[in-house]
Amino acid sequence: MYKIVSSVKRDYIADLVRQGKRIDARTLDQFREISIEVGPVKSAQGSALVKIGKTQVIAGVKVEHAEPFADKPDSGMLIVNAELLPLASPTFEPGRPSENAIELARVVDRGIRESDAIDLEKLVIKSSEDVWAVFIDIYVLDHDGNLIDASALAAMAALLNAKPLEDEAWTLPEFPIQKKPVAVTVAKINDKLMVDPCLDEEGVMDARITIATIEDGSICAMQKGGIKCFSREELEQAYELARVKGSELRAKLG
Amino acid sequence: MKKPEKLIVDGKRLDGRTPDELRPLKIEAGILERADGSASVELGANKVLAAVYGPREMHPRHLQQPDTAVLRCRYNMAPFSVDERKRPGPDRRSVEISKVTREALEPVLFLELYPRSAIDVFIEVLQADAGTRTAGITAAAVALADAGVPMRDMISSVAVGKIDDTRVLDLTKDEDNWGTTDMPIAMMPRKKLITLLQMDGHFAKEEFGQALDLAFKGCEQIYGAQRQALRDKYAIKKGE
Amino acid sequence: MLHIQNRELVVPGQLIAEGGYRVHEGAFREGEQVYASVVGLADLRGQDIQIIPLQGRYIPKRGDVVIGVVVDSHYSGWILDMDSPYTGNLFVSDLLQRKVDLVREDINQYLSMGDVVVAKVKDVDERMRVQLEAGEPGMGRVEGGKLVKVSPTKVPRVIGRKGSMLNTLQDVGECRLRVGQNGRIMIWGRDPRMINAVVEALLMIEREAHTSGLTDRVHLMLEKIKSEGGE
Repeated sequence: MYKIVSSVKRDYIADLVRQGKRIDARTLDQFREISIEVGPVKSAQGSALVKIGKTQVIAGVKVEHAEPFADKPDSGMLIVNAELLPLASPTFEPGRPSENAIELARVVDRGIRESDAIDLEKLVIKSSEDVWAVFIDIYVLDHDGNLIDASALAAMAALLNAKPLEDEAWTLPEFPIQKKPVAVTVAKINDKLMVDPCLDEEGVMDARITIATIEDGSICAMQKGGIKCFSREELEQAYELARVKGSELRAKLG
Repeated sequence: MKKPEKLIVDGKRLDGRTPDELRPLKIEAGILERADGSASVELGANKVLAAVYGPREMHPRHLQQPDTAVLRCRYNMAPFSVDERKRPGPDRRSVEISKVTREALEPVLFLELYPRSAIDVFIEVLQADAGTRTAGITAAAVALADAGVPMRDMISSVAVGKIDDTRVLDLTKDEDNWGTTDMPIAMMPRKKLITLLQMDGHFAKEEFGQALDLAFKGCEQIYGAQRQALRDKYAIKKGE
Repeated sequence: MLHIQNRELVVPGQLIAEGGYRVHEGAFREGEQVYASVVGLADLRGQDIQIIPLQGRYIPKRGDVVIGVVVDSHYSGWILDMDSPYTGNLFVSDLLQRKVDLVREDINQYLSMGDVVVAKVKDVDERMRVQLEAGEPGMGRVEGGKLVKVSPTKVPRVIGRKGSMLNTLQDVGECRLRVGQNGRIMIWGRDPRMINAVVEALLMIEREAHTSGLTDRVHLMLEKIKSEGGE
């Protein structure tokens, strides 16, 4: 369902941004209030409920036996899936995953995969035959903007919450997490950059860039979205925001 | 866990409950920002959310009814809600549950007040331990009231069954697996009219009546918690 | 016989009264009994029973002033979203209050997608098809200002008895407001700080709509913000 943003709202947000202000009185480099509840779902190996403002995302980790990919016989598997539940927004509809849901899952996946957050080589039971598949299911419960950062944070918190499997083939003392990637999305409205766009801001933003970083501040994944563009200077500025804000978010993971 | 020899020992069930006892129940109304109405139900290890959108414009338009709103329900389980990961998306079970859920809720709604519109009910099971469809209906009824949709009555829902030849209220997963009978029921608590009834297993003639008695008793208790949840959300807070 | 007190919070299906009462919105009759159909506050006046709902979407009624957003157009007018299950149709002749020659005049000059329009519900038929008009002074396309949204069930509280709350918001808040029955409210003002203060006040009204002494508290809050001055 395409949603028309009223011209009044668009002008109002644009006008505030020009003065360096935001519709909910935040500064441009300020996240909304963040809370992380770990382990709300006992039927999952690990789980977390993340709230960024009114946005709510729950992530659940499941681990199962699987046959490895032929080209990676000595690696466990990571599968990230995201559901934009119709419960979460009047614009989400039931049915096959939308392109937004698939993009969301893939951006979260890249952050975790490319940073080697999970030591997948430890998740091999028998080479080329039996490995552990780690499923991360992201469940968007309430959509008030910035689903990518909330989902990435929920996925990482759920992984950190994951307990060793009660299965005789599981021999690791704990779940093999070695990095903590964190995604920060920077929105651009009228040539101004801001972190953590809320839904109203997403409705009028020109473009966004998501930058996932790890502990040393290096980048492990990026995704640009939206129909307008970024200059080189803007990208450098966005990276700086993502690096600084990323370490703040990471601190919340404990 | 292997099946124990007895599911009821000295009048107590595996989790320590008596046969006519409900699991710990917690209902909250208005927990989601975007939805027009919402509720969560925790019943033992079950965690279920329900959201209501509407009455809203019906899409696709050819499904509009000129003289009434159309109620649509979707019951869905999170992949991480059960022991073995459930593949996302609807399966035959969830499609059937969605249908009987709609039929359980529709009798109390004044749908004729909103011609051409749609009222959507979305139920999400986050954690499952048997009785998710009834917990979903209980949550959906609270969410409908929270959305301001006019209703003749609440709908309260619970499952009853038979284990070790004893009628019991509100079965857990283990009891459902090892017991002989499961009967989910939904009713209008005021008029004691039944709007959902499914059953699989075996009941002798007199057992069916006893099971219904248990279901009525359980629904009465659930109804109280539903009303309380709505009052808690809207009550005038002291000191304000 | 009444089973509840005036102003009591009731839930759907709750018994309110028995006997020959007149039943209005939010309640229904079954034989001798009168029940609530919504979560709301009982408004009992003599023989009249009404439940004031605390939640619910806007359902258009003839004569209501609403604030709509243009979401589509057709050859002789526009479709307006009213944050309701029903959209409203605004013919160009009901916007301009004159006959319009559609062949000669390009109507796109008057309204575009996303425009905010103050309009009045001219007619609603039994299938909830809504005709709007916007010819009266102060109606039509809106310029500048801030658009906010409260629950339509709280609109009477935003206006207040004989407009008392609205007067407080405008006078103390130094802003001009236009309130739509559909819960959309336009705010215009010179000082962005006072606009934000009025928005805060509206949120407070929405939150505490069912409490007493609210107008005074809103007054105090706006005065306080005003006296604090600029940043």
